[in-house]
Amino acid sequence: LGRSLRVLNLSGNRFGEVPPVLLALRGLRSLSLGGNRLHGIPPDIQELRSLEFLYLGGNFITSIPPELANLPSLSYLVLCDNKIQSIPPQLAQLHSLRSLSLHNNLLTYLPREILNLVHLEELSLRGNPLVVRFVRDLTYNPPSLQELAGRTIKTRNVPYAPSDLPENLVRYLSLASNCPNPKCGGVYFDSCVRQIKFVDFCGKYRIPLMHYLCSPECSSPCSSASQSSTSQSESDSEDEASVAARRMQKVLLG
Amino acid sequence: MEQPVQTETWKARSLEELIRILHGLFSEEKVSVEEVQELMESYESNPEEWMQYAQFDQYRYTRNLVDSGNGKFNLMILCWGEGHGSSIHDHTDSHCFMKILQGNLKETLFEWPEKKGNGEMTKKSERVLRENQCAYINDSIGLHRVENISHTESAVSLHLYSPPFDSCNTFDQRTGHKHKVKMTFYSQFGERTPC
Repeated sequence: LGRSLRVLNLSGNRFGEVPPVLLALRGLRSLSLGGNRLHGIPPDIQELRSLEFLYLGGNFITSIPPELANLPSLSYLVLCDNKIQSIPPQLAQLHSLRSLSLHNNLLTYLPREILNLVHLEELSLRGNPLVVRFVRDLTYNPPSLQELAGRTIKTRNVPYAPSDLPENLVRYLSLASNCPNPKCGGVYFDSCVRQIKFVDFCGKYRIPLMHYLCSPECSSPCSSASQSSTSQSESDSEDEASVAARRMQKVLLG
Repeated sequence: MEQPVQTETWKARSLEELIRILHGLFSEEKVSVEEVQELMESYESNPEEWMQYAQFDQYRYTRNLVDSGNGKFNLMILCWGEGHGSSIHDHTDSHCFMKILQGNLKETLFEWPEKKGNGEMTKKSERVLRENQCAYINDSIGLHRVENISHTESAVSLHLYSPPFDSCNTFDQRTGHKHKVKMTFYSQFGERTPC
């Protein structure tokens, strides 16, 4: 059964977690656990390499593990009617995704990487407290000494070998993220500026997308000058908007 | 057939009979909304009679044309997978009857947005329609969103639109902005019609 079962529908039951035995069903193409009592998704969901259809609507899920993005054939993902507060940017790696259902959750913004889902044809976002006005995160916690050292090592390409550093620091250095500002070329670890920009789809729907920048002085890829005025940042989104609009014309279902 | 003094109470004993009586009603100059609604509601859903039109799509709800009513109306079957829903939409000045054939559908009514509206649209009411119930809406009543909120059961509904229309406006709930869309059929008369 492990390799032959293709479709499994366990919707409308009382599962409090995804039964671990299911993760051994390597041939599974379609899995529904809709209308259960799941509070999370196990990272080992990535074991279901053949999965194309995953229905998890109507549970109590609060967050999505980035490992979900390691399902190469996933084309239909339903996460509606849960308690999800944010989408990991890694989900943009789901290149086969055609339909993403996120309605009735607790999302205030989406990661800007969502624009990379070129095959996405259906996206539902209604019933989320999406921010409608420009939001600038005014609190910026200055980087720690460890972070400053880590940034220097990365941007100056200071050579190091695993034998030079304690294992935890080697791991820390591997978690550097690149600042999306093309003029910056910097990296950040934990200290970053969150900024929300709006992308307007064909004049019909404005989606707030979250950018992470390495410092308040940085600006996001499409913006030119200052970020202090609202109207400036709205027009900054136009380049991004026209690209996004071309790709996701039919997508939004409100 | 002699013109009745008051509206008749019809009983459709099969889908075929329903269609036949509808053709009769719509061949008249005036059609009574109450009469059509009662007639639609009187038909007791029998899946064997409409199964051939109930073609589901994995990703979204489908519209499957059943009868084109001699140009006076369109009768179609809509198939809703778990969690499938429509956007908020209007009905292009036509009458819209919606009868549940299987499962349940939630209908949320909205007020028309203000002319230069830039705020959240106002919800008027919502209800869950049960099997065999028939709802009615037109533009003067308002706008609505229809969804299958079940995570375990699919739903099937029978819709009558008169006069027929192939485009309508969809509305963004957060801003009231509208956007004209063309509507297409997933299948017609039981045959899959890719567009």
